[in-house]
Amino acid sequence: MKEIDIPIETSAAKRRTNPLARVFDELVRFCRSRSMFMLHYCTGCGAIELPPAMTSRFDMERLGIQPMVTPRQADILLITGYVSIKTLKRVILTYEQMGSPKYVIGICSCTVNGGMYWQSYATAKQLDQYLPVDLYIAGCMPRPEAVLEGMRKLMDRIRSGEADGWEDYYRRYDWYLGNQQHLFGDDWQTPADVIGEASHYDLAGPGTEGEHTRLLQQCQKPLEPQQTFFQIGGSLEKKGESHE
Amino acid sequence: MSIQILLMELVLMPLVAFVVGLFMVLMLRRIGAKLQRRVGPPMMQPLYDIVKLYGKKTQISHGWMHDIGIIMAVGGYVAAETLLPVPGMDGIADKGGLVTLVYVMMIPSLGLALGVGQCANPNGSIGIARALTAMLAYDVPFVIVVFGVAWYFGTTNLVDIIAIQQAGGVSGWGAIAMPLLAIAGLFALQGMLGKQPFEIYIAPAEIATGPMVEMSGKYLGGLFVMQCFQLYTAGVLYVSLFLGGGENWLFFLIKVFAVVAIPMTVAFLFPRYKTEQMIRLMWKWPVMIGLLGLAFVMH
Repeated sequence: MKEIDIPIETSAAKRRTNPLARVFDELVRFCRSRSMFMLHYCTGCGAIELPPAMTSRFDMERLGIQPMVTPRQADILLITGYVSIKTLKRVILTYEQMGSPKYVIGICSCTVNGGMYWQSYATAKQLDQYLPVDLYIAGCMPRPEAVLEGMRKLMDRIRSGEADGWEDYYRRYDWYLGNQQHLFGDDWQTPADVIGEASHYDLAGPGTEGEHTRLLQQCQKPLEPQQTFFQIGGSLEKKGESHE
Repeated sequence: MSIQILLMELVLMPLVAFVVGLFMVLMLRRIGAKLQRRVGPPMMQPLYDIVKLYGKKTQISHGWMHDIGIIMAVGGYVAAETLLPVPGMDGIADKGGLVTLVYVMMIPSLGLALGVGQCANPNGSIGIARALTAMLAYDVPFVIVVFGVAWYFGTTNLVDIIAIQQAGGVSGWGAIAMPLLAIAGLFALQGMLGKQPFEIYIAPAEIATGPMVEMSGKYLGGLFVMQCFQLYTAGVLYVSLFLGGGENWLFFLIKVFAVVAIPMTVAFLFPRYKTEQMIRLMWKWPVMIGLLGLAFVMH
């Protein structure tokens, strides 16, 4: 443990030596709060309230919020409605591809407590057991005013540094992974190396690794490069980077 | 000109271009907002976006070529700015000339192609293939226009071209003397800026912004910076060739902003063409208009 602690102290000490570090931090936090690219994963009915929030009636762009189309470019992951277990896998894959700092917003009651799908066997009830949700916007469905109100709340939280759900995902990865394994089975794995990322950001804590990550490492299969098949003149020719 | 002044100009010209480019991006987004009856982003929004992207904690690199590609994309335009004369600053414009400028303006697309190639994302590959094809399409009318202007003024030196136009007053402007070439130039401008209807290589809903699909953090920030330079370069080049350059900064900026506003205003009236439709259109109408204009100029 001591070997892990040493780099944490040095990086913190480095940050303190720069007299302008806090000014830069403040500036970057301000810009983060005023420029949010959102990836809306429109799973349920809440998606219907987003077009009015984005277009001429309520116009999110005046707050610096604009839609982006890939997880790499996005800051906010918007989950708008119930999440079935199959969908949740995709949501987690998407979330882990996003660049930190990243924020998750759960819209509609279904993400809070399952909503009207409470009795469904195929729906994830509480989104924040599987992903660190920074903000819930409750309602069935929340009106665009409520969505904008929630966005403003998130802006305030980003500016004050409270919106640190992405750090929580690294700090308590074992707990999140345990809940995910409970739903998806023991052989659940994603391409992202979350533990490695956690140590990269100095966020690896006692909750990062545990029994569930050990289970992950046992069941983990190495990722294989994508294989492409070409049909040439009736014979099936196989091309893969691993075999060439 | 002393070496100190030259060095200062070489630093100042890209800086000015960046600042003006930020306001151009703002103008484009505001025009889009106004046409859709929205309020639009606040004044400093382009800067917020860039600072935020550079301040991201995660910076996903896909390899050396990815890094170098972005540097080429931004660096190509930085080099182009030093070849574009602005009021009071000529930089190395009188040594470079139009031909060098046309060459340098192709570097960013090629750099982007190298960088995107390493991302190994199929959407990115499709996007960059379409972008290079689009470049092939709009470069033919663009070269015809540049050749026609250089023929008419008898020089490829941008400083001289601007001086000749300014000596003749408004009636000496290239747009008055060569209206057909100016129209063909507008087509090329639309294609060069990648605005609708020639926007197929970005196509957010279909191929997830094409070349930008794997860009995150400072890589996307680099592309945002590149967009500022791109708008500025295209606008200033058009103003230098057809609208008499800038007598002073006020008229210069008014002209440049007006020129850049045209593609954006046109953009919202159109859906997008497919790549082959774009090539057919680019190689038919602007080329025909350009060649006709060239015939009048050379006659």
